[in-house]
Amino acid sequence: MPRNDLPATPRLHGLQSRFRADWPALSAARTSAEIRFEQLQSTLEGAAPSDTSIVVFGSLARGEVTAKSDVDWTLLVDGQAHPSHLNAILDIEQRLVDAGMKEPAREGTFGGLAFSHDLLHHIGGNEDTNRNTTQRILLLLESHAVGDTAAHQRVVSQVLKRYIEEDFGLLVQGRNLSGVPRFLLNDIVRYWRTVAVDFAYKRRERNASGWALRTVKLRMSRTLTYAAGLAACFSCVMEAGASTAGSPSDRALRTVDHLERFLRQPPLEIMAWAASGDHANDRLLEAGHRLFDAYDRFIALLANEAHRQRLEKLLPSEAPDDPLYAEARTIGRSFQDALDEIFLTDNGTELFKLTRTYGVF
Amino acid sequence: MWTIGFSTGAIALHDFDSALHLLTRLDVHAVELSALRIGELAPLIAALDRLDLRQFSHVSLHAPSAFTLLEEASVVSQLTIAVERGHHVVVHPDTMHDIRAWRVLGERLCIENMDKRKPTGRTADELRRYFDVLPSASLCFDIAHSRQVDGSMTEAYRLLREFGTRVRQVHISEVSTASRHVRMSPSAANDYAQVLGLIPTDASFIIEAQLPAAEMPRELASVKQLLSGFLSHAIVA
Repeated sequence: MPRNDLPATPRLHGLQSRFRADWPALSAARTSAEIRFEQLQSTLEGAAPSDTSIVVFGSLARGEVTAKSDVDWTLLVDGQAHPSHLNAILDIEQRLVDAGMKEPAREGTFGGLAFSHDLLHHIGGNEDTNRNTTQRILLLLESHAVGDTAAHQRVVSQVLKRYIEEDFGLLVQGRNLSGVPRFLLNDIVRYWRTVAVDFAYKRRERNASGWALRTVKLRMSRTLTYAAGLAACFSCVMEAGASTAGSPSDRALRTVDHLERFLRQPPLEIMAWAASGDHANDRLLEAGHRLFDAYDRFIALLANEAHRQRLEKLLPSEAPDDPLYAEARTIGRSFQDALDEIFLTDNGTELFKLTRTYGVF
Repeated sequence: MWTIGFSTGAIALHDFDSALHLLTRLDVHAVELSALRIGELAPLIAALDRLDLRQFSHVSLHAPSAFTLLEEASVVSQLTIAVERGHHVVVHPDTMHDIRAWRVLGERLCIENMDKRKPTGRTADELRRYFDVLPSASLCFDIAHSRQVDGSMTEAYRLLREFGTRVRQVHISEVSTASRHVRMSPSAANDYAQVLGLIPTDASFIIEAQLPAAEMPRELASVKQLLSGFLSHAIVA
């Protein structure tokens, strides 16, 4: 089985050097992710049938693994359907259990089969279920293939192609001249709002069990992924340029090529680009510093077994007086303030202008 | 402008004499002589001097798709004979054992991008190392292989963006889910049109769909329609 490494994060390291910042929790989580991923590749050697990829999501794909991180995975099928695909998932599950890796989350979004047909053809409309939208957007924003990447790469490219080719405002001159892929942006925003709404659904369904930990994750890692998605859409203008040269086909292929490469980076690296790319000024860089300071503290909180358990068990009624929850809220506010500076404040960069134009309506 | 022809292997397997006879009935000016099995190479090389190839402005020879390390030197030596006669030679990169041994074929060597079954040579990233070792080599762009590897045609775009100036020949067909070369469907034609602008105008298109003789004219017409449709659109644009 071909080996496939987690993508590197040179910009993040560059920021860390620039600020002489010590982000120990982030560094440890990255190292843990690399070790876990290597272990996963060995554990799942030969488990994926042809025309499929075993795709991981969540903290492992983001490169942010702590001791209690789940292995969120799906067998992505991009070929002929076959009854043996069920045997493949059962085999993968058993291998993960035997290797002592955790089971995935409750909702069943992961740990099963995903078909490229659904992800590609059901974008919007009644057939685009919550599960389908979530899998598709996370496929783009925080996924990584274990071993053979061919099916994964094909599906990512095809999905991006749909978003771009069918974005008439993007490809037809005289309208969305800035080059921001609005169809894709809208679906990323829709995913984010769905996550936020589902937070309330889960609180109700589970009678607030695990509420505090989910709240913290919503404010931090889920927000990070969303912010990275916004930044990726804006990068089509800021990084790749808004060239209108060539036919609509030419422009579509250029944009898909750019996005496919850009989205291979984990969300932290994309946000490092947002804070420190060629467009950055001192205000943006300082916001980036605060952003990653806050995120490092968040990872440290998750990595602390006692703190994690405390948050898992905390009731909403206990939260106002709980010092750990207060600390988590402070971290969340600091993170949000940094994001506000990057996207929502007139900081003299394109990020603010593009967010103002495309981020709300 | 682009010339069009057929692969003899696609229309008559190893029987290149019969294939050439079929082609005399068609308005084609390119041909790829196939020697896909190692045992087919020597007879084809031996026949080169007697074959009437005057109809064709582009002639290439497809090397065997498998040979051992011990056989490689002999294969290269035989293909050199074809090159000395002014023909191009198409090779699958995953068959090469000693890549440097193929330098002797110069720009007449056409490295073909592979289908998804192969371990390498499928993408721009994978082909780069071959062109690093063989800087003079050309590219046989298999547009069907590229579409099979990435149906969005983004990989085709990357291949042509980086190696487009090297393209001397294009294999055109469609690859089925069983990885067989079949007739080009309208969907495939639509996808191929997206990257035609990146293919040099002096390249030759070789139809690789496995066809009975009766279906050759229809497939030729489909390919001509695709290429002329693109050209007329380009002129209008």
